[in-house]
Amino acid sequence: MQTLSDGDLMPRVRDGDLFAFAQLVLRHQAEAWRVAYRFTGDAAEAEDLAQQAFLKVLDAAPRYTATAAFRTYLYQVVTRLCLDHRRKKRPMLMEVLPECATDAPTPGEEADAVERDQCIQSALAALPSDYRMAVVLRYFEGLSAAEMAVAMGRSVKAVERLLARARDALAPRLELFRGKMR
Amino acid sequence: MDCPTAQTNLSAYLRGDLPLDQRSALVAHLRGCRICLVSLAAVDPLASVLVQTETPPVPSGFETRVLAAARSRRSQVVAVAWSPLRWWRMASAPMHAAAAAVLVVGLAAGLAIGWAAQPAARQIAATPATAAVDPLAAYKLDYLNDAPDGSLAGTYLALLTSPNGEGQ
Repeated sequence: MQTLSDGDLMPRVRDGDLFAFAQLVLRHQAEAWRVAYRFTGDAAEAEDLAQQAFLKVLDAAPRYTATAAFRTYLYQVVTRLCLDHRRKKRPMLMEVLPECATDAPTPGEEADAVERDQCIQSALAALPSDYRMAVVLRYFEGLSAAEMAVAMGRSVKAVERLLARARDALAPRLELFRGKMR
Repeated sequence: MDCPTAQTNLSAYLRGDLPLDQRSALVAHLRGCRICLVSLAAVDPLASVLVQTETPPVPSGFETRVLAAARSRRSQVVAVAWSPLRWWRMASAPMHAAAAAVLVVGLAAGLAIGWAAQPAARQIAATPATAAVDPLAAYKLDYLNDAPDGSLAGTYLALLTSPNGEGQ
């Protein structure tokens, strides 16, 4: 059986075909989940946001026009939801996040990896929302500047500036891991 | 993916220009190859740190929960929120044209049927006028004149010939 492309599935979703919608969810749930998780750092919030993103896709299906790849469109929806969510939410209590810059030895590579992941998430959480989103889209999702611009609703130049500032802000917090790598 | 291919792909990876499958292969390679990871760190130190992190997998049953929410939402939309205005906004141009054509044809058919029915309506309207002169004669009910007062026939006769026209 021939597999339908995302572009072929969306008109079916518009016509109320929930089977087509299910295929889109199965294909792209990982992207939506990763962005939301990397942005929020919280699995429950991430699931809620990823679910909302797919429901928005469903609701907006009658107005959908294929100006870009469906994947880019989904990134746009998730990005907006995440940024709106952060605007509405109260500031996060930072004491729940682990401190990064310690040289305390940890037993075994797995513990090192866990500590590293927690510290990276902590460093990301400390960034302003739009810096964080730029890092997530480029480094975790591998989007080009043009795709990021669509997803974030900004110009290519603006997202490149955001990325540069985000790199500058993250560099001191992640210096320890670069040192370990050498 | 081997090291030469990985090294070749590093720049495209950092620009976000690598196709999804090649990107996944490169990330897997970088997590296991210290030499290529150091090469990446030389160009973009942040990328070399972030590429090593693992994102937890999508929670189990996520798609089932999304679909359940979608089904629930769809049934609510169908049951509660159908409105002609919403339909008009969501319909495409051919649908608008078809709706307009149906409206015009319907109006024309209504006018034609109304026009064709006019003579019969006039005839029906004329009948009571004739009867108003003498309903008993017009309807050939003279035999009811002999009906006793208070009988059913007498009551009918009274109604038929009453001055306010109720009988007609």
